[in-house]
Amino acid sequence: MSAGVVKILDGNTFVVSDERGDIEASATDPTGLFSFDTRFLSKWVLTIDGERLNALSTDDIHYFETRFFLVPGTGTVYVDSKLSVIRQRAVGHGFQEELRILNHDEQPVKLTVRLDAACDFADLFEVKDALKKKGEYVTRVQGGKLVLSYERGTFARSTIIQSSTPAKIDKDGLSFKVSIEPHGEWSTSLDVATAQLGWGEMHKQLKRGRNGSRRANMQGSLDKWLDGAPRVECDWEPLQATYRQSLVDLAALRFSPVTAGARSLPAAGLPWFMTMFGRDSIFTSLQALPFTPELAATTLRELGMRQGSRVDDFRDEDPGRILHEMRYGEMTAFSERPHSPYYGCADATALYVVLLDEYERWTGDRKLVRDLEREARAALNWIDEYADLQGNGYVSYQRRNEETGLENQCWKDSWDSISYRDGALPGFPRATAELQGYAYDSKIRGARLAREIWKDPAYAAELERQAADLKRRFNRDFWVADDEYFALALDPEGNQVDALASNNGHLLWSGIVDKSKAKAVVRHLMGPRLFSGWGIRTLAEGEARYNPIGYHVGTVWPFDCSFIAWGLRRYGFKDEAATIAAGILDAAEFFNGRLPEAFGGYERSQTRYPVQYPTACSPQAWSTGAPLLFIRTMLGLEPIGEHLVVDPALPVGIGRLELLDIPGRWGRVDAFGRGRVEVARREHLRPQLGE
Amino acid sequence: MAQPTGEFFEGLAERGHEPLLEKATGSIRFDLANGKKSQRWLVAIDKGDVAVSHKSTAPDCTLRSTEELFDDIVLGKENAMAAVLRGAVTVDGDPELLVLFQRLFPGPPAKAAGRRSANGGSGR
Repeated sequence: MSAGVVKILDGNTFVVSDERGDIEASATDPTGLFSFDTRFLSKWVLTIDGERLNALSTDDIHYFETRFFLVPGTGTVYVDSKLSVIRQRAVGHGFQEELRILNHDEQPVKLTVRLDAACDFADLFEVKDALKKKGEYVTRVQGGKLVLSYERGTFARSTIIQSSTPAKIDKDGLSFKVSIEPHGEWSTSLDVATAQLGWGEMHKQLKRGRNGSRRANMQGSLDKWLDGAPRVECDWEPLQATYRQSLVDLAALRFSPVTAGARSLPAAGLPWFMTMFGRDSIFTSLQALPFTPELAATTLRELGMRQGSRVDDFRDEDPGRILHEMRYGEMTAFSERPHSPYYGCADATALYVVLLDEYERWTGDRKLVRDLEREARAALNWIDEYADLQGNGYVSYQRRNEETGLENQCWKDSWDSISYRDGALPGFPRATAELQGYAYDSKIRGARLAREIWKDPAYAAELERQAADLKRRFNRDFWVADDEYFALALDPEGNQVDALASNNGHLLWSGIVDKSKAKAVVRHLMGPRLFSGWGIRTLAEGEARYNPIGYHVGTVWPFDCSFIAWGLRRYGFKDEAATIAAGILDAAEFFNGRLPEAFGGYERSQTRYPVQYPTACSPQAWSTGAPLLFIRTMLGLEPIGEHLVVDPALPVGIGRLELLDIPGRWGRVDAFGRGRVEVARREHLRPQLGE
Repeated sequence: MAQPTGEFFEGLAERGHEPLLEKATGSIRFDLANGKKSQRWLVAIDKGDVAVSHKSTAPDCTLRSTEELFDDIVLGKENAMAAVLRGAVTVDGDPELLVLFQRLFPGPPAKAAGRRSANGGSGR
């Protein structure tokens, strides 16, 4: 996204505008008011006496609210205006905008204030792919409101615009004849509401009046969210700032499906991914468990409610499978896209069980584990019954929807992410390594839940037997013996897809790696081909497809690194985990505390700052969650029985780290860490340390 | 009365219990229009136990569509959630009941069946 774009959001409703607050979307330009994956306003342009305005400053008050300071006139170097214009906009069921004009002159002024409005009602998929619309547009002025509508058969979406002061409304917008006394002020409040037919409750939107107290509610909700999270005390100031930014961004990324009531789960990212994703919602919930465990509970409930129940090739659905992505737009509604929801991912189902177990270990919420027993068993069953496409005892994937389904159903989902050393791409089905790790972990964790909570020791024993067998075979079949690491995947012939990739780190996290092999794996992860000085590259330098700014073939992903650090801790490599935490947290400081989805895999000594990946979206949930998981791994937090074990290993530059009021089955506890691990000094390990 | 819809509800009544609905308690009424006629089904769910009737009692969730579309849904030719998104099925009341209930609808007919669902895990 280009610079100067302003984004505010609430759930899956968000506004992207220019720095004046104007919206002028083209077919492919992602500006506008969006809600439920549909653009509800593609034009919203303010003029005074026919002139556009000039932005003096933009003030992001909250993630859901922005203030634009403007003056009339554009394009000049020097502005000498007798007028100030302030637009203050807050998102929530559309958006509300307070428009104020201040006359600084000693003379009264008469002005024509105009807001041009229009909408193309594009589906997000259409914005991405620049597709043509198939329905009809209707615009009407009705009861002092401007109603923009789009209809295609029974599908209907509307935008309803009204003002608190009388306006002359025509089909292209609203005009105000304004007189302002010397040093006086004029203001109006504009309400832009979205409406969609279908859900009965959304019907009511059409009838509802203006929205008063919502903004206050949102502020209250954000304050409550921040107050409820543990506090970080640290002698390294940037970590506190990064932590706070993470909490605020996580609050912004909260999404409430219609069945969740007031509860919310993490959506995947802004602006394209403000919806439920199996993989992203689960990973983010895992990262946030020690901080906001309620996100995990909602994720588990909502994903469980929508667990696959039938075989549907178009949606790549199977019984027991956890969804990949849920969408609400026109193309989904007409089955031109499979997202109602779409199930094409091969990892979320095992990760669902992993999250359920981890959640219980932190919170002691046995009730939820009992409530979701059927879902967890169905997920475990899916792994064996539906995911073993090759009949070789490994989870693999191949889409059945060849037109609009996803080719790569692992987290590295771009076309070239899975390759051999020489750059060749394997055929399908593909059994990527981390999927086996997740499957292993889900069986081990499922066994614990079966034994301790579902009281089914026979099932527990069977899961453990399967897990042990999977681990034995995996360490034999995926191990690249000549170079001592795990292959990226097995191809359809069962041969190793032998590129070296960050997936090795996820294997440590899952526990599938034989203890005897861990040291060699860590040597690769921390070696110069994978470790950039900032973090672990997705693909090792030297592989044919390596590209430091290739999406999954060389960039560094903070989320990936956070799970790798967790994996390193799991196998006892505390110093290495601290080193990765230090690298990514250093990078976070360059990004003002908001880690991007990915940044370049360039050597740290080469660029000296992390190079942001060109089209990465931000804030992105699992990047937002990464600092949280790093705080966990640095402090070595691990729930054991009824207690929280703290085993800190801090990087150089952090002398003291405290996490206070950690929620869990113990009530609230504090964790303290003092710097004692000497991470090998590298150049610029911490900016404030200089050399 | 259209066959597929009738068969779907009669099958449900015969089974009397649906594991997929064990988290649901409440009633869903299906008002299915066919020109001037319409058929009405009321499914009362109590933690998976289901009772099917034609009663007009006020439900926790009402689903309205045409008989024709609902026939397609119970045959797996149409996806219920997509139909809701495009307003061809309207829902009033508790949406959770519908999200849970729609899992009972089958997948698309023919070609998909058979091929999958077999346990391929012969390697273990």
